[in-house]
Amino acid sequence: MIAGPRLSPTGACMSCGGPASPQDNFCESCGTELAPASVSNDEPAAAQACRVCPSAPVSGDGYCEVCGRKAPGSRDHQEVDLGLLAGVTDRGLRHYRNEDAMALATADTPSGPVALAVVCDGVSTSDCADEASLAAARAAIGVLLTAVRRGEDLPAASVAAVRSACEAVTSLDSPLGNAPSATFVSAVMSCAAVTVCWLGDSRAYWLASSPDSAAQRLTRDDSMAEELVLAGLLSEADALASPQAHIVTRWVGEGIDEVEPHVATFEPPGAGALLLCSDGLWNYQPEAGKLAELALPTALTDPPAAAAGLVNFALDAGGGDNVTVVLAPFPPTRSRLPRAPFPDGSGPIRCRGEAQQ
Amino acid sequence: MSQLDFTVDVYQNEYLLDGGKDVNAVISVTAPQAVSAPAVTPDGAEIIIVDCSGSMNAPQTKMAAARTATTTALNGLRDGISFAVIAGTDRAQPIYPPDGSMAVADPRTRVAAKRAAVVCLRPGGGTAIGQWLRLAHHIFASKPSALRHAILLTDGKNEHETPEQLEEAIKLCEGVFSCDCRGVGTDWNVEELRRISTALLGTVDIVPDPAGLSADFAAMMKAAMGKRVADVALRIWTPRQASIRFLRQVAPAVEDLTDRRAQSGAQVGDYATGAWGSGETRDYHLCLQVAPVSAGHEMLAARVSLALGSTSAQHLLGQGLVKATWTDDEALATRINPHVAHYTGQTELAELIHEGLEARKDGNEDTAKIKLGRAVALAQSSRHDDTAKLLARVVDVVDAATGTIRLKKKVAQSDEMTLDTRSTRTVRTRK
Repeated sequence: MIAGPRLSPTGACMSCGGPASPQDNFCESCGTELAPASVSNDEPAAAQACRVCPSAPVSGDGYCEVCGRKAPGSRDHQEVDLGLLAGVTDRGLRHYRNEDAMALATADTPSGPVALAVVCDGVSTSDCADEASLAAARAAIGVLLTAVRRGEDLPAASVAAVRSACEAVTSLDSPLGNAPSATFVSAVMSCAAVTVCWLGDSRAYWLASSPDSAAQRLTRDDSMAEELVLAGLLSEADALASPQAHIVTRWVGEGIDEVEPHVATFEPPGAGALLLCSDGLWNYQPEAGKLAELALPTALTDPPAAAAGLVNFALDAGGGDNVTVVLAPFPPTRSRLPRAPFPDGSGPIRCRGEAQQ
Repeated sequence: MSQLDFTVDVYQNEYLLDGGKDVNAVISVTAPQAVSAPAVTPDGAEIIIVDCSGSMNAPQTKMAAARTATTTALNGLRDGISFAVIAGTDRAQPIYPPDGSMAVADPRTRVAAKRAAVVCLRPGGGTAIGQWLRLAHHIFASKPSALRHAILLTDGKNEHETPEQLEEAIKLCEGVFSCDCRGVGTDWNVEELRRISTALLGTVDIVPDPAGLSADFAAMMKAAMGKRVADVALRIWTPRQASIRFLRQVAPAVEDLTDRRAQSGAQVGDYATGAWGSGETRDYHLCLQVAPVSAGHEMLAARVSLALGSTSAQHLLGQGLVKATWTDDEALATRINPHVAHYTGQTELAELIHEGLEARKDGNEDTAKIKLGRAVALAQSSRHDDTAKLLARVVDVVDAATGTIRLKKKVAQSDEMTLDTRSTRTVRTRK
């Protein structure tokens, strides 16, 4: 299970039952954080059945007790739905673990609801890449959420969030001496603008739903491929096919103390959806317009379904890498509540707030 | 973690290339500290078996040294421990208590036993070690729940019974008591004593000069008194379709445990390791074959835990996981774990010494030179100073790094036997 909102749809604190409104970030009665951040893998779900021996018992640490195979675990596939935005992360088909991580949060401010998200992709040539991405996402979302609630400057908060992510990653042990590192992309979406901040090659896209505004990529990769393209040395297609394409040139982690993250503020011209994703998705479709075709219009009304759709698209295309997709419809409105889990408790992992509906 | 938990650390490169089947891991097991494990300290039962064959009289100091050593060992007995002393010849005789029972150690019984040792440990007769073991087995039968340990001293070969009779006696004693074996002088047989100490989960060593017996007995008794947890087995779960190619103890000495397996569940086998002292560490090399899976998958290749008590499944102390993860990344999969590499080298070192000495005995000097030369190089590169020193008494080292040596023309029998006896001792990896 993943930690989620602790405010019931009927407007009560899930912890003490006291009255609360969507504008409250904390319960007036018991002080419980009503809209805390949801971080992938924060609370590991019980392992599921073995894919090879479905009737065999699975040990407490997640292995099939007959064939020894790792049963699909919590981090292999996770879905988070916070209403304002939703995310799906998946191990993919070729990697033995999911080194992507995502952290989602919502806040209600005097000027309206705000959706926040961070996506990090552990650099797999570094040590404990899975822990690095998770630590980075978790640290950053906390900084961003606090800044939003306090009404602070968002570009400055985004840079502070990256710093905090860096500290979290560099404090990890690196048993093999390859300093842990991860890519980083964050977005804070209010009713007026989207503040995007990034390092590495995880991306943010604007997926426009109206014909008069074009879908576009909001980030520029810190990667060898992008540098080759910018230098006019290769076409984008050739660059992406080159062996160096996925070598990131900037990241959170050790060795980049002086590097400032990129920060951009984007004012959406109309309705649409914000997409954050790791390269596990855009490897198979880098074009903003094509991604918009895949995600819309579902993303506007049912972001978890649209996010799952994009992940499935990547898996169907080969699933060569971990894939993470976060979708937030614009403008953010509280009209959509997080979707209830399947009645029998099976299926996608949903956040705790819903499980008690 | 409970107070009784053993610590189990696994060192391995878990990554296998697509289609890879061989999984190697070094498993380092450490017993809990005594202070935290008072409840498992069992009653102790100790038997000292002293060779009293006629040859113990040549030189005369040998028998005298054995008597003194026995006295020293008796002094090391903790109050409350059950004990007995056996004189071994072509038969076996209980000398204390003389009725073949066990005494309980206290100031009075220790003095009585020392007097009996001085009076009754007299040379005369042959050597039938199987008989000695059988009597120890009989005496231990009155202490079925105690931590049972024996010290066995001989100066000669097992000449007054057949090898089969000895083997039968060893089989009888397996799992009943553990036994540390010592050979004094150079007229005994290394293989014979090693066979006993291996089967009875003890150590074997040479005491070339009888003057060293007393210190050696004191050390053995101290180690025996320090044992805290009895009847510990390594319990290994493996997936269906997996097979264990070998399980070796690799520190403090090389010992093959593969054939010691006792099936204790559908996919579970137990390997007896005897009694453990407080805080004691032993390392194991586990090599197994698993059914390969495609890249991107992870498998638990073995779950290693410690089972306490000979049959009980209820006391599992600590565990470690050996994993297999398949990948396309050749660089990742071809890395050799330094612990696995180190102990593979230490095992090879022991084998080279054994084979080299055999070849030398058989007059096959070329083979001996090659094997012992490689042993010299390995001892140097793994910084095994003790073995390097022992080797240097048997061969002239021209260049240790390349393993260039000459066989010594004259080698003291005790030097050769010391090298043979201690060849299986290993050094630990340095971090």
